[in-house]
Amino acid sequence: MKRGLLLCAALPSIVAASDFFEMKIRPVLAKNCFACHTKSKMGGLDLSSRAALLAGGKSGPAIKPGTPSESLLVKAIRQEDPHLKMPPSGGKLPDNVIADFETWIKDGAKWTDAKAPATAEKLWSLQPVAPPKSKSIDDILKAAASQPKTDKRTLLRRVTYDLTGLPPTPAEMDAFLADKAPDAYAKVVDRLLASPHYGERWGRHWLDVARYSDDKLDSERDAPRPNAKYYRDWVTKAFNDDLPYDTFVKAHIAADAMKNRPDLLPALGFYGLSPEFQDDRVDVTTRGFMAFTVACAQCHDHKFDPIPTKDFYALQGVFNNTELHEYPLAEKAIVDEYDRKKKDLEAREKDLKDFENVQAGALANIFTHQTARFLEAARGTGPADGLDKDVLERWKKYLARTNREHKYLDASTKPEDFQKLLLETDAEKKDVDDKNHITLGSAPNREDLSQANLLSLAREKFFLWRDFYHNNGVYTVTAAKLPPYLTGEFKAHHEYLAKRVEEAKKALPKQYPFLHGIADKPEKDRKVMKIHIRGNPQNLGEEAPPVFLTALGGGALTTGSGRLELAEKVASRDNPLTARVMVNRIWLEHFGEGIVKTPSNFGNLGERPTNPELLDFLAFRFMDNGWSVKKLHREILLSQAYQTARSERRRLDAEAMRDSLLFTSGSLDTKIGGDAEPITEKNRRRTLYGSVSRRRLDPMLALFDFPNPNQTSEQRITTDVPLQRLFLLNSPIVMQACDDLAKRIENEKDRVTAAYRILFQREPTSKEKQLANTFLTSAKGTLPEYLQVLYSSDEFLYLN
Amino acid sequence: MKIINRREMLATFGCGFGALASRAMAATPGAAGPHHTPKAKHVIYLFLNGGLSQVDSFDPKPMLTKYNGKPLPVSNLKTERRTGNAFGSPFQFKKYGQSGIEVSEIFAKTAEHIDEFAVIRSMHTERPNHEPSLFMLNCGHVLPGRPSMGSWLTYGLGTENRNLPGFVVMCPGVPIIGPQLWSSTFLPSEYQGVHLASNEREIEKLVPFVRGKRSLEEQRRQLDLLGKLNKDDQGIKAMETAYRMQTEAPEVLDIKSKVTPQEIERYGDTDFGRGCIMARRLVEKGVRMVQIYYGNGQPWDNHEDIMTHKKLAAGADPAIAALIADLKSSGLLKDTIVIVGGEFGRTPTVETSGLVPVQFGRDHNNHGFSMIMAGGGIKGGTVYGATDDFGFKAEEKPVHPHDIQATVLHLMGLDHTRLTYRYSGRDFRLTDVEGSVLHGVIA
Repeated sequence: MKRGLLLCAALPSIVAASDFFEMKIRPVLAKNCFACHTKSKMGGLDLSSRAALLAGGKSGPAIKPGTPSESLLVKAIRQEDPHLKMPPSGGKLPDNVIADFETWIKDGAKWTDAKAPATAEKLWSLQPVAPPKSKSIDDILKAAASQPKTDKRTLLRRVTYDLTGLPPTPAEMDAFLADKAPDAYAKVVDRLLASPHYGERWGRHWLDVARYSDDKLDSERDAPRPNAKYYRDWVTKAFNDDLPYDTFVKAHIAADAMKNRPDLLPALGFYGLSPEFQDDRVDVTTRGFMAFTVACAQCHDHKFDPIPTKDFYALQGVFNNTELHEYPLAEKAIVDEYDRKKKDLEAREKDLKDFENVQAGALANIFTHQTARFLEAARGTGPADGLDKDVLERWKKYLARTNREHKYLDASTKPEDFQKLLLETDAEKKDVDDKNHITLGSAPNREDLSQANLLSLAREKFFLWRDFYHNNGVYTVTAAKLPPYLTGEFKAHHEYLAKRVEEAKKALPKQYPFLHGIADKPEKDRKVMKIHIRGNPQNLGEEAPPVFLTALGGGALTTGSGRLELAEKVASRDNPLTARVMVNRIWLEHFGEGIVKTPSNFGNLGERPTNPELLDFLAFRFMDNGWSVKKLHREILLSQAYQTARSERRRLDAEAMRDSLLFTSGSLDTKIGGDAEPITEKNRRRTLYGSVSRRRLDPMLALFDFPNPNQTSEQRITTDVPLQRLFLLNSPIVMQACDDLAKRIENEKDRVTAAYRILFQREPTSKEKQLANTFLTSAKGTLPEYLQVLYSSDEFLYLN
Repeated sequence: MKIINRREMLATFGCGFGALASRAMAATPGAAGPHHTPKAKHVIYLFLNGGLSQVDSFDPKPMLTKYNGKPLPVSNLKTERRTGNAFGSPFQFKKYGQSGIEVSEIFAKTAEHIDEFAVIRSMHTERPNHEPSLFMLNCGHVLPGRPSMGSWLTYGLGTENRNLPGFVVMCPGVPIIGPQLWSSTFLPSEYQGVHLASNEREIEKLVPFVRGKRSLEEQRRQLDLLGKLNKDDQGIKAMETAYRMQTEAPEVLDIKSKVTPQEIERYGDTDFGRGCIMARRLVEKGVRMVQIYYGNGQPWDNHEDIMTHKKLAAGADPAIAALIADLKSSGLLKDTIVIVGGEFGRTPTVETSGLVPVQFGRDHNNHGFSMIMAGGGIKGGTVYGATDDFGFKAEEKPVHPHDIQATVLHLMGLDHTRLTYRYSGRDFRLTDVEGSVLHGVIA
């Protein structure tokens, strides 16, 4: 039932006549015409609907359907009449675009009003959650629930993987098979829900939505955030503790404003760890919690859902009135001490550096005045007496270079001339620097620098200067090489300054841990945002004060940035989306497919629920049960529908696969929480704790369909490609697991049976035993080689 | 969980790909196309990351030289940083080939093949910043989250060789932004570009997991057993492909042992040169698209000293020339589109900002720049579009990256308006709602 779906969606849409407008006409109107010819009605003309075009402006109707040659719009864009040229700037539209307009008008100027913004009254997902009419899931899913139950072994594997991401142990399987009590299965569900591994599995599902990563997105360098883990571990714990989901949501948005709940603060990592794209926070908030695509409305009113552009900027304004904030996980005294000592160290380092720069500058000046002698000595035509040996060596190398970027130095250059040139160039550089310093003022920021209009040396003179005075220049004395040049008072002072730095370094404690989060800006810095017309920050429209989504009833957000009020409105029983979206996400993970198949889009372009009654039943019960996620799991897992035999199989995802390798080979480190570490064969922790990078996603995660952590992910897509098999053939992670498992079972009398019981929780058939024996004896295969085959088998990689 | 499964895809479509797929070294069909008879089968995209200066390469501007050192008679366009006076190219231009197209001395070897190229001189894009422009050129949108062109192509057309990935990306290191530039994002991840660190010369480091500690004989025995244990043959088929890949990939990519020193010499023994050799060999084996980023970070971003372009071109020029020559002599050029260009161009005015220590370089320029394309249905010896007198702004027949993407898709047999993918409730395209096929550059 599942596999066909995406395929249908993948079929190319055929360009229907009505789509011609959406693809060829509307985008051109939007880009070139709407700025003046919608609400502004320049020349009295409104181009926002077919009726408005027919009504036309001061010069008459804009189009005559069927007759492009008599349509003013066509005349205007053809620009044949000097008094009627549109668009007024940016040149004539390309000929093929003009031809499209002619075709469109000729074919009747069809306008697809069907896709005009829907109203909140019509959209299914905005209707109140209906109170249940049925008693249970199975009541609603009568047909599915009456299917035959799967066998106990398959069921235990299914539910164990579902709740913990790990396989059952052979002992757990034996116990379950032996337990004939009617509540044997219910006891298993309770055991698994109480396992700390439950939070690791389900926390990870949420982290997909939360676009969690262990680094800051930086396009040029790796930027790890070692404190990101506190958010990840908080999410894990929230699931394990069955934190009510409404509280979970509120904490994400406004934990800092929730009274007496310091335990919730780590949730702010949801924004504190943002990839910082302009629309990220609105996007993850609205799609993540409510499956509402508000970020689509940043350039124009949402074309399909009741979301005006103003709604986007009203919410964007809430987040713009916050700033990144680090919440220390240490006593104030410790934080203050660290900050003070850090400042002290920096001040001392500056003193040292300033002194070194002055001394190095004085030395460079002396060398410059010895330039003629250096050049002669380097050429071998003059004595080296009294000249600095290091500098002379650098001079010799410099003279031998063939790729100098200036032409001031060759065999015929007179030493005195070159010395004069260097002195002049150095002086000129200082002059240019002084003038630029005046232009820039002190402490310019990057933006000032980029827009400054400065002076510079001519190119070749600059490179000459750089070759002698810049980093590693001929006359440059680095800090490391400075001491031998210093004597007397200078030496003593330098040693004193260096010692002060060393002392401060030693005194500086390791930085205290902190939570990544956000906090409201001080009141004086908070602003009401203005709409960016067509998404352009230079083109500002009316103000968009903080208000909740109009489709959900609006409501001003007035306290501070407005986050707490926003949180209350998202996590409210009156919000028809939040509970529906979460129960759908949970259903999706249990069944492989949501009741709504677009889990982060409950709008008009999303799918409709395949079973609206079921969705509302679950959502209503979820809220009635105090937003308890565990109670919801229980209700789903104990239904007959969950326990039926399934024909389709699901491949283990990246985490379940690697975790199973470690778990079955007996090497899994089961510690919960802690630092993120790179995923290698030496790392024995669950994949949840493998470093997730926005800049460079781990190759194994990427290979096995881990979602892009730069954006909220609605659902994993599973692929089956040969490169994944290359991983199974050759990866050191797999090899290590084979060796570890071989060691684990080497003392067993019947190793093949032991392996089957650990990996598949069943006995091998006699044929399987025979194949194993043939491989291990006549084919001379080793035990690790044999185990690798089992690890590569469908039975290991797929679940029924 | 949605499983994209080849066999079922075939069954579902029932459009006659089955016979194709069962052939040895079978092609995997794409999910969508082709929509029409293609003119090309492969793309090699040579990306000069950082931003190639048009006025120093393929867009000669005598007026700029005339005004050198003086203010432009028109005001400077807004770019990322402050720029000052007109800055004529320090390089000489010369006419080449039958077409007489003028090319800078720093691309003299490529210029020998100029009759194969369409020189598009009227490129423009939205922003004068690297990130949005890299996203636009590669993924058709200024923000992240959209699939790369190579992902769209392999999604639409599949690949001709199941033993190799359909979309290969090479870079010594990573360009800025990195893997998001070849990400399949919401398309299934099998269409993701496979990144090879082209500075690595050892095959084990070049292709992850291509070799391990087991010998081929040992693995053969393992696969034979696996075939007997698995209940159906799908998993084992993928495993057999991976098994063959271990031999095939080094056969193509281990140029240290498979390619003569003379051949390496012709391309230049640089990361880019070796990358071009690998690209050619991959395309010969049926890989759909190979993209090569010139270097780690953004080497062509010469704000400070445009003379650096000469050093960079010394690495790019012989490789491009040798690639064209070799594809031509093997007959593969007619099936292969070769694209050369960066994420934007550079200002014809000198940068004077406080971020450069010397003023002999150029700022980013999104208003006008050049790209060149050859092979695969491209009309060689063509100049398409023009910038203003100074090379600042595209004026005649402006070309947006969406137009390039539409054109590449068109040549590959795909209609860019019909190659769509429904994600999160809406249909997405590489070219969003824009893009026109540039019929003027098509033979």
